[in-house]
Amino acid sequence: MRVAFVVNDLQMSGGVGVVVEHARQLAGRHGFEVDLVLARDQEEPSWRFPGLGDVPVHGMDRARSGDYDVAVATWWETVGPALELPAGRHAYFVQSLEDRFYRPHEAQRLAAALTHDVPLHVITEARWIAETLEALAPARRCLLVRNGIAKDVFASPAAPPVRGEEPLRILVEGDPEVWFKGVPEALAATRSMSAPHVVTAVTPRGRALDGVDVALGPLSQRELAATYGEADVVLKLSRVEGMSGPPLEGFHMGATCVITGVTGHEEYVVHGENGLVVDWDDVRGAARALDLLARDHALLHRLRWGALATAKGWPSWEQQGAVMAAALRAIARRPPRPSGPFDARLLAELRGGIEGHALVAAERDLLRWRLAPMLAVDRALERPAVRWLSRPARRTWGAARRRVKR
Amino acid sequence: MEWQERITRETPPSIRIEHELRYALAAPLIRAAGTWLDLGCGAGVAAAAALEGDGPARAVLVDASADALGEAARDVAAGEAVPVEADLASDAGLAAVRAVLGDARNGCATCFEVIEHLESFIGVVELLVELAVERAFTVVLSVPNDAFWPVESPWHTTMWGEGSFEELRRLLPSEHVVAHQLPLQGSSIVPQGTPALAAPGFVVREDAVPSHLVAAFGPRCTEVVARSSVAHADLAAQRRWERTREANLAFYEDRIQWAQGEFRAWRDYLNELEGKLGLPPTTAPLDFP
Repeated sequence: MRVAFVVNDLQMSGGVGVVVEHARQLAGRHGFEVDLVLARDQEEPSWRFPGLGDVPVHGMDRARSGDYDVAVATWWETVGPALELPAGRHAYFVQSLEDRFYRPHEAQRLAAALTHDVPLHVITEARWIAETLEALAPARRCLLVRNGIAKDVFASPAAPPVRGEEPLRILVEGDPEVWFKGVPEALAATRSMSAPHVVTAVTPRGRALDGVDVALGPLSQRELAATYGEADVVLKLSRVEGMSGPPLEGFHMGATCVITGVTGHEEYVVHGENGLVVDWDDVRGAARALDLLARDHALLHRLRWGALATAKGWPSWEQQGAVMAAALRAIARRPPRPSGPFDARLLAELRGGIEGHALVAAERDLLRWRLAPMLAVDRALERPAVRWLSRPARRTWGAARRRVKR
Repeated sequence: MEWQERITRETPPSIRIEHELRYALAAPLIRAAGTWLDLGCGAGVAAAAALEGDGPARAVLVDASADALGEAARDVAAGEAVPVEADLASDAGLAAVRAVLGDARNGCATCFEVIEHLESFIGVVELLVELAVERAFTVVLSVPNDAFWPVESPWHTTMWGEGSFEELRRLLPSEHVVAHQLPLQGSSIVPQGTPALAAPGFVVREDAVPSHLVAAFGPRCTEVVARSSVAHADLAAQRRWERTREANLAFYEDRIQWAQGEFRAWRDYLNELEGKLGLPPTTAPLDFP
């Protein structure tokens, strides 16, 4: 069976890592011929991505001459390129509802949302995504393939160690510059703690951040596993996640978690059994939860024990590779999706999006109208003669302008 | 820990009831089918008990163990019992099953506690879906809720729980029935000289956790209905089983120690001879891993 996974790039993000692992499993264990296809226009890459094994990487030009059983989009920007590839079936591996990565005024938000209306077979990695997409388009039946865990890398201890009086070891993971990862909020929560603690932050560039005792990153998976192994608790206050892998990886190494009720956490976090779920925008609440873990060693140990048990019940990449193989074979057998209901949905989404953007445009026009007198004064002040005469007043005018613009 | 992967007459009564109930769930479908396919039939103990001597015209019994198949073919009630020794994780094994089934239609297929044992379960799931969709078989399958405890059985190659079952469910035809097998616990008091309650009621819990997850699909899947099985615990059998297990364990541990002692003595003798012959002594490890 020939499968193309279309990716935007091979930067080692969590989403791309999942696709790469599936590609490796399919090629290595299930006899699939898998290509990774780079959607962005570029020359045929001559290099091989480390860890890809025998999975070839192609550009679009070469892939367009391929003959695939299934071509799979893996990110909203890759849906169009995936549809360009000759394939018996086209599918969409949805790892999150990606419109939520963008703020309401950002145009990409609408574009990402529209891709969910394209009549493609869908594979998702979390039940909430499948249920949401099926609620949006009841005719659709999503396939589910959760992310596996590299059990050899995140090799669990037999039991978590009972901790003594040492400070609570907290691990914060994520890109502090990505608004929905909640890293600044997590660090604010640790700064609000009253109990002794040590904070380790794993970020893409290992930046020193306020309140962080140990700044690490980027880390290999093995280094990351070792870092989780030294933590008592993974703190994750994300606002948007597909399945949120880091706490689950932490579970495998015997760490519990403090987490917001972010989408995907329900796949494996049970409040009071293997972690603590805290409210949105509740930095003090998160700090109190951490203080509780720092002081109640029995509770901490019970949660870590529960976390480890959850991890033991979580499937490996080998198992999930088999599920992905079964899902792709099922898609190859299924008829193409009828486009009618999806077209209607897509048009409705487009109309809603355009109305939303019309509101943004109207607000901008209103603001421009309000600023018009100020801009006129600005233009007048730029005339050389007036410029010379008004020099003493310019500083006051500039401050007033800045205040208005703010 | 003791792992009971094959149901035999020596299996603890509580586990036998669990298995028998699954076959009892499918029994009306099995009896009405022209052909019944039982994947992973084992020794057929639970199926034979559930069918109570009233089976289908033809039973295709599939297992990896020839010994178990022999017992199943002997004990399971059917007009004709066809044993098929096959590894269901292999293409050859699945081809053997397809060949024996021939062009059978409107049958029933059961696949209880099999999928978790297979290195690759893709072929079995595809076979069952094919039977349901293309040949009007009604299929009943089950997997254990291992992830809940989590049970790390050395015989299970994959880990199943509610999440994995949801993945499987989405691969099945859209018309299907999902059922949870819920363990029961209880006790009864019987004044001497009075009959025992035949079917005591039990307290239902809304949040009861399943021990097994069951799916039925195919044309008659809606005929799968709620069913419970309650029996007085056979403590005598349970005690016999546990004592037998403990005695066997102690016996074989003793034999292993004896064998290791003998092995050591032979090794010393061998090394002595090697020394006399001027050869380097053999140093392969003596202990079992």
